[in-house]
Amino acid sequence: MSPESQAPRWEWYYIAMYFYIGGVSAGAYFIGSLVELLNKKELRQVSRTAYLIAFPLICITPVLLIADLGQPVRFWHLFFYTKDGMPYMNLTSPLSVGTWALLVYSGMSFLSFLNVLAGEGRLPSEAIKKFHTLFNRVPHKVYAAAGSFFGFFVAGYTGVLVNTTARPLWEASDPLFGPIFITSAASTGAAALAVAMLWQKSTARDAFAHLERFDRVVMIIELVLIGAMIVVAGRYAAPLLTGQFGVMFLGGTVLLGILVPLWLTWRRAASGAANDSMAMLAAVLVLFGGLMLRISLVQAGQL
Amino acid sequence: MIMGSNMAECHPVAFRWPLQAKTDHGAVLMHVDPRFTRTSALCDIHAPIRAGTDILFLGAIINQVINSTRWNTDLFFKEYVVNYTNAAILVNPDYKDAEDLDGIFSGMSKDGKSYSTDTWAYQRGPKPNPAVSEAKTFTDLLLQHVPGRPKTDLTLQNPQTVFQILKKHYRRYTPEMVEKVCGCPKETFLKVAETLLNNSGRDKTSNITYAVGWTQHTVGVQIIRLAGVLQALLGNIGRPGGGILALRGHATIQGSTDIATLYHSLPGYLNMPDARKNHETLKDFILTEAGPVATSYWGNYPKFAVSYFKAQWGDAATKENNYGYDYHPKITDDHSHLPMFVHMMEGQIRGFFVMGQNPAVGGQNARFQRKALAKLDWMVVRDFYETETSVFWKNSPEIKSGELKTADIKTEVFFLPAACVAEMEGSFTNTQRLLQQHEKAADPPEDARSDIWFTYDLGKRLKKLYANSPNDHDWPIRNLFWDYEPEPSEVENFRIKDEPSAHKVLKEINGYTWADKKPLPTFANLKEDGSTVSGAWIYTGVMPEDGVNKARNRQGDNWISPNWGFAWPANRHIMYNRASADLQGKPWSEKKKLVYWDPNKEVKDPSGKIIRGSWVSPAGEGIDFQPTKAPNFRGRDNGIGFDWLSGNDPYIMKPDGKAWLFAPAGTVDGPLPTHYEPYESPTPNLVYKQQSNPLAKTWFVEGNPYHKVADPKYPIVVSTYRVTEHHLSGTMSRWLPWLAELMPELFCEISPELAAEKGIKNAEYMTIETARGEIQARALVTRRMRPFMINGKVIHEIGLPWHWGWQARAEGDVANNLSALVADPNVTIHEGKVFTCNVRAGKRGGAA
Amino acid sequence: MAKGMFVDTSICTGCKACQVACKEWNGLPGEPAHFHTVPDRPYPVAFNFTGNSYDNTGKLSATDWRHVRFIEQFNEGRTEGRWFFSSDSCKHCKDAGCLNACPVKAIVRTDMGNVNVQQDVCIGCKYCIPACPYGVISFSEQTGTVHKCTLCNDRIHNGLGTACAKACPTGSISFGEVEDLKKKADGRLAQLKGLGFLKANIYGYSEAGGLNVFYLFMDDPAVYGQPINPVVPQRRLFRSAAITVVTAIAIAAAAIMSFRERGIQKNKEVTP
Repeated sequence: MSPESQAPRWEWYYIAMYFYIGGVSAGAYFIGSLVELLNKKELRQVSRTAYLIAFPLICITPVLLIADLGQPVRFWHLFFYTKDGMPYMNLTSPLSVGTWALLVYSGMSFLSFLNVLAGEGRLPSEAIKKFHTLFNRVPHKVYAAAGSFFGFFVAGYTGVLVNTTARPLWEASDPLFGPIFITSAASTGAAALAVAMLWQKSTARDAFAHLERFDRVVMIIELVLIGAMIVVAGRYAAPLLTGQFGVMFLGGTVLLGILVPLWLTWRRAASGAANDSMAMLAAVLVLFGGLMLRISLVQAGQL
Repeated sequence: MIMGSNMAECHPVAFRWPLQAKTDHGAVLMHVDPRFTRTSALCDIHAPIRAGTDILFLGAIINQVINSTRWNTDLFFKEYVVNYTNAAILVNPDYKDAEDLDGIFSGMSKDGKSYSTDTWAYQRGPKPNPAVSEAKTFTDLLLQHVPGRPKTDLTLQNPQTVFQILKKHYRRYTPEMVEKVCGCPKETFLKVAETLLNNSGRDKTSNITYAVGWTQHTVGVQIIRLAGVLQALLGNIGRPGGGILALRGHATIQGSTDIATLYHSLPGYLNMPDARKNHETLKDFILTEAGPVATSYWGNYPKFAVSYFKAQWGDAATKENNYGYDYHPKITDDHSHLPMFVHMMEGQIRGFFVMGQNPAVGGQNARFQRKALAKLDWMVVRDFYETETSVFWKNSPEIKSGELKTADIKTEVFFLPAACVAEMEGSFTNTQRLLQQHEKAADPPEDARSDIWFTYDLGKRLKKLYANSPNDHDWPIRNLFWDYEPEPSEVENFRIKDEPSAHKVLKEINGYTWADKKPLPTFANLKEDGSTVSGAWIYTGVMPEDGVNKARNRQGDNWISPNWGFAWPANRHIMYNRASADLQGKPWSEKKKLVYWDPNKEVKDPSGKIIRGSWVSPAGEGIDFQPTKAPNFRGRDNGIGFDWLSGNDPYIMKPDGKAWLFAPAGTVDGPLPTHYEPYESPTPNLVYKQQSNPLAKTWFVEGNPYHKVADPKYPIVVSTYRVTEHHLSGTMSRWLPWLAELMPELFCEISPELAAEKGIKNAEYMTIETARGEIQARALVTRRMRPFMINGKVIHEIGLPWHWGWQARAEGDVANNLSALVADPNVTIHEGKVFTCNVRAGKRGGAA
Repeated sequence: MAKGMFVDTSICTGCKACQVACKEWNGLPGEPAHFHTVPDRPYPVAFNFTGNSYDNTGKLSATDWRHVRFIEQFNEGRTEGRWFFSSDSCKHCKDAGCLNACPVKAIVRTDMGNVNVQQDVCIGCKYCIPACPYGVISFSEQTGTVHKCTLCNDRIHNGLGTACAKACPTGSISFGEVEDLKKKADGRLAQLKGLGFLKANIYGYSEAGGLNVFYLFMDDPAVYGQPINPVVPQRRLFRSAAITVVTAIAIAAAAIMSFRERGIQKNKEVTP
């Protein structure tokens, strides 16, 4: 391990927050895309809700990322090398590749977003109508497949990014952050969808049930991955298990963000009753746990 | 052996040479010091000793050496010591040693404050017939007073021989005593002694290097002298890789003692006319000063002295007015730094020039010195930063505490901006007597001016002011030869057009014939009749002819480098190098060959005649001997100078031509270095009844209280020293952010044992106090400091780098607030390296 | 041919001339974090005393491109005592973590093998900072970009050596062709081993793919605060990415399985 590596001093309200919001957006989006691949009418509300929330969420993220830069006005250097004006991507840098992926994902999620609105007749302009027609010429499955790929990429690359460094916690937990972030994105994406769907009140019950079941599976996978990470990281996991980040991680993520929601949904399933407020609580807790996960992992590595 | 020095930290650039000797040539480096420093880290051996016990340590090495098998059987040592030192010379039978008188010598005055040296004198043969009956010249005068040659016993068995006296004097300086008094483990001490002995002899030589860790003691001169004695016994002097290297403390300070900014000497180490001595006339002066040493190269004293006076006053210096000697100022007292400040405190000093100095921080008992400044009428400070001294009247600890009030201080302070080193032209003299020309790179900004500009301009103005004065005591300034106007070529590239010519100054120092102003190639050309001038005879030869300045030479080689700069005297790098050859003039070994006698070499004498036989040095080294004097030449009993010295007298500056193991004259506090405890010590002297140097200079005045011996209030030994990151009182280094951040605050090095005892925690504040004052410092708790076991008792030592003051980007308390005014009796150097104190945790004044 | 430096810590005296020469040549200010303003002082005052031996610099930063470490090893009885010094700086790794991590190509390697930050390209994303196994490259609040040792890029491209090597009084730091320096280092190591210093070792021949600025240590590299066998982080990228892809596939499968009908309405056509 590197006793001397320095922390990048990324503020939690910029970078960890981006990881989280990006994860929720991307998670919701790839769930929506995957569901669309199955092409089932009763699940359409899932996809639709996903496309409606993914894009607005991802809009916040460039602001966060650019604000964290030491030279914010130069953010466009991420796409063009200043010395020759050509587009630039560094394959050895997850940050570089991820930024391009984020760009593509944003574009795709925007089109999906627009398409849903256009499809529901909410945007009356001629140009939108033309767009809607053109867009739907592309086979949905193709677009959905591509969409889910970029969704997964945006959800997972940030974990790979953090692991590809020399900070003791981050190096020791390699290669588990990517998987954990994807899993968490899936979980929080599903939870965001759940909240949105519960909010709409006209929830397709079946779809919701599937969503819940998915989230349960994912949460268990997440627990397993978190356990594996702690084992793999060994003594370098200490900053994550002690002090303020220990509270955030163990209390916020593991307990409140996974175990309690699991117990709640099991209770709900066992009781058979469609207890919406319990479902809402479970979903909110999952969302909270995801935020705690990002903050504790990113900030504990910078101690 | 590096002792009394922290060479790696304080002379880092020079230290690369010992280090290179170690890495490339297997040299063994040893560091003897109370602390384990960056020097110790690079040395093979570190021998810890309690501060102030150097004489005991060195004396014990001598005792070890002269009783060893090797020294007594290897004929090299016998040949060197018997023939090149005064070991065989017989001393006055009435002489009583410290062994007889429990720590003092015979000849002590009734008040115990001075020695008469009569009983230390040599036994001599009858006075020879004077070579002249009438004294027409000063040289004649000296020829009339040549004493008889010293009596000798070449077997060294006679108890009155210097050697037997020396042996007796150091017989109790044993390894056990070293462990008891110095606190150095016996094995370590023996390792040091063995290493020195085994690395001396025909094929190997050892060097001893020191700095102010030796000078700044009440026995400073004696410590250094003892190293000289040791090296002479080991046959290391005058030989390559041997000798004693004094590491001077400032850039070109060697030049500052050569050209004498010291109150008690004239340039070239002549003595200052002194109203307390028989210096009434020039004749008296020469007889008093040169008489006792005329049978050495100092026999040419009259030539040096007259040339010096002639340089001062040019045409105004005539035979009639004894070349201006009649008007030359005479000192009346010890006017060195410490007594000067005592007089200043008494209100006896009106004005004060402070040039590149900061007594408010650098002076001992700094509080005393700061308060003394308030008694002046006026003070001129020349520096390029606002030093603590320059602002003492408005910002200082005494102003803050209310002890001094700005409104009450009548001292008028002038601050004149000075040029820094890159803005001045001139020669630089390094510690090994090497002159190198230093070029001006740029003008100083605005009104800042160099010290030479200031002094020259001041002189011009004073001359104008006194031009019409009828007073005798103004004669020296009125008639001062003071023309150092620059040549156009010297100032054409610079803005300041009236910068005086450093070249002219150096030429005057070198010397030239007054009539035609032609430079002199050697001091052998100096005359006592006023036809030559020389500002400092030792530098003669740096400008052997017009247009040549050897200080500019830059051709180095792997060894002597005779074409790099100019080493005084006469480009001789190793002094007394006649001693690098044996009695027959052959090198002691091929490996250590430097200078040797070639009987077949043909040279021309001054009259053009061809002489056969000369000393030669293929390495280009200057011969520190009469070049054509054969090894078997017997000097004339009634001659002076070179005439008296024989072919086997390498020490041409000593009146017996020998290295002085025993000093019959010259040191006021004893002919043999003796272990005295520092003036402030936690322990009684375990070797003699006489506690400390009986002649140590003290000042029992208000504000300068001393601690008692083994004072229970102040049981801890403290030493002040320097670190690489800062320079002296920090006036040049603490303003620079790059240096300020390397060592930002005053810190105190303290052993974990003492820290635990006092509850002092690393990096937190601690307070150090003496009867003179108290200061706070950050504690640096480290095992590099160690407790010493002295005679069964634990004695702690702490260390304080003294660079800090209250001005500048790195600030801290003034460490010198703690020390007292107490000094060595020979040269009045302060005892800054060891005194006592007490420590406690927390900030001064009781704050946490 | 790659240029680099060989740092022989066995002849380092801890004088810090390298730190100051670097600042002087590169016009770097005092480290801002080391100074604070004090009432009634017209200049900032240094307050960075650490109590850690003679090291008040602490670590490399955007304004400290060289940092001398001080390691004291003394036993209680003082029979064994050593004080090691080591001047730390950018290692100009042959495979540089910072260069690999930079998303805007601000960090480039010149024709002499040294790694530099192009100040006009850097966007201050700070990703290179944790990518360096040695904690070298650092962010400056003042410029909003990262900074580190440039191997005196301007000097070495004009026939000169690095400022630190020039200032080093003992020759502990030497600049030159890496292959030549290796020969020198090997010779010195053999000499030290011959003198009985069996723990002496060269650090940087294989570490992190090879360092153009490499060291001769007198003890274990961990004693000098250096990582043992560090790996450039990007070497792990492929594995990390692969595992993440596998997880993605697993999640996708989980999604598909969760959202399928429990066998009842399989294959029924549904119009969107």
